[in-house]
Amino acid sequence: MTCEKTQEKFADYLTGDLDETGRGEVRKHILDCGACREDLENLTVVWAKLGVLPEEQPGSAVRSRFYAMLEDYKAAQPVGSKSRWTDWLTFRRPAFAASFSAFLLLLGVGAGWFLTGARPGGEKYASLSREVQDMRQQVALSLLSKPSASDRIQGVSYSAEVANPNDTTLAALFKAVDSDPNPNVRLAAVDALYLFRDRPGVRESLVKSLSAQSYPLVQVALIDFLVEVRETRAIEALKKLIDAGELTPEVKKRAEQGLKQITV
Amino acid sequence: MNADHSEKEKTGRMSPTDNELMEAVRDGRVEKLAVLFERYQTMLYNFFLRLTGNRAASEDLVQEVFVRVLKYRAGYLGDSRFNVWLFQIARNAHIDHLRKQKPALSLDEQFAEAPSHEPQPDTAYENDREAELVRRALDRLPVQKREILVLFRFQNLKLREIAELMGVQVGTVKAQVHRALKDLSRIYLELQGGNVS
Repeated sequence: MTCEKTQEKFADYLTGDLDETGRGEVRKHILDCGACREDLENLTVVWAKLGVLPEEQPGSAVRSRFYAMLEDYKAAQPVGSKSRWTDWLTFRRPAFAASFSAFLLLLGVGAGWFLTGARPGGEKYASLSREVQDMRQQVALSLLSKPSASDRIQGVSYSAEVANPNDTTLAALFKAVDSDPNPNVRLAAVDALYLFRDRPGVRESLVKSLSAQSYPLVQVALIDFLVEVRETRAIEALKKLIDAGELTPEVKKRAEQGLKQITV
Repeated sequence: MNADHSEKEKTGRMSPTDNELMEAVRDGRVEKLAVLFERYQTMLYNFFLRLTGNRAASEDLVQEVFVRVLKYRAGYLGDSRFNVWLFQIARNAHIDHLRKQKPALSLDEQFAEAPSHEPQPDTAYENDREAELVRRALDRLPVQKREILVLFRFQNLKLREIAELMGVQVGTVKAQVHRALKDLSRIYLELQGGNVS
C-alpha cells in the first residue's frame, strides 16, 4: 500500500473505526515506512492530547434565554394554527391511527343520527367526544394488563393519546413505571406521563419511582423527566441516589448533572 | 443526539428520537424543542467555545442556533440526521459571527487567517498547563482546520456526516482531518518547545 493510501486511513485508525483488515494494512506499511510511522505516532499523541480539553457547561443564562425565547415564540403563534391540523392528521403511530379510526367511526354514527333527523345538540356532541375518550382509556387499560410486553407498550401509547386521562389510567401508568417487569414498558410509561406532567400527583409519583428504580435507562429517563419539569422535590431523591453509590457511572454523571440543572 | 437512533434500536426504548422531536417541532409542537435544547445545548456550547475561545460569544451563538431552528423549522425534511442539520445551522451561525467580527476581511481570508496575536485565555477555561497548550495550539489553527477537527474529535460526527455537512467527498474530509492534525501536532510541538510527549 502506498503512503498516500495509508495516510487516508489514519483518521479512521485514530477513532477505532478501521476494520481489522485496514488496521493490518496500516501496521504492515508503517513497519517498512519510517516517515508514515513517525507521522502516525505524532497524530496519535496529538489526538490523545485533544482529550485533555475539558467539556464546559454553559451558564444558566443560556437556559433562561432559551425558554424566554420559546415562550415568546409560542405566544406569537396564532391559536389553532394550520400546523395543529397537519399535526392532527399525521399518522405516525399505529396507536394514534387506530384511535383516530375509532373516532371517525363514532363520528360516522353521529353523522347518521344527524342525517336521519335525530339531530344531536351540543350535549350529544360532547357525549360523543367523551365516548371516544372513554373508549381509548378502556383499550389502554385492557392492553396494559396483557401478558405480552408489546401489548402493554401499545397500551401505554393509547393512554398517551387520551387528552385528559382519568385517575385510573394515570394509576395504571404509575404502576407500569414502578413495577412492569419489562424496562421498555417502564420507559414508555415515563415518556407518556411527560404529556401529563402538570396533572396533580404525576411528578410526586415519579420522584418516588426514582428511588425504587434500578434499571439504568429507566433511571436516566426519570432524571430527564424531572430535570425538564424542574421538579425541586427531586433534589433530595437525586442526592440520596448519588450517595447510595449503586449507580452506574453514566447514570451517576447524569444524576449529578441533573441535580445542578434543577438547583440552578 | 448522535447515537440516538442506534440506542433506540438497541434497547427498544420509546423515548422520542431527535428526528421525531424535530418533526413535531416542524409540525407545530414547538414546545418539543425544549427536549432538543436540553440534549444539545452543552454540545453546541463546547463546539462554539472551541471555535471562538469566547464564552459569552458561545452562549450567544447557542441561542442563535435555536432561534434559527424555529425560524427554519418548516424546511426540516427529516430525511437526514438531525445532528447534521443542526450543525449545518451552527456552522452558518458561526460564519455570520465571523463576518460581524471582521467585516473588513472576506470570509475566505478569515477562514485562512490564523490568529496573529496571542490568544486571551479565559482563566476558568484553562484548568492546567497541558489543556492550555492544546487549546492554544488549536486556536492557532486556521478556522477551517479547527472546525473540522472540533467536529471530528469533540462532536463525534462521523467522517461521512462531516462530508454531508460540508458538501464534500468523504476522501476530502479524511485528507483535511489528516492535514489539520499534522498542523496541530507541529504547532503543539512549537509551543511546547519541541517535545510532544
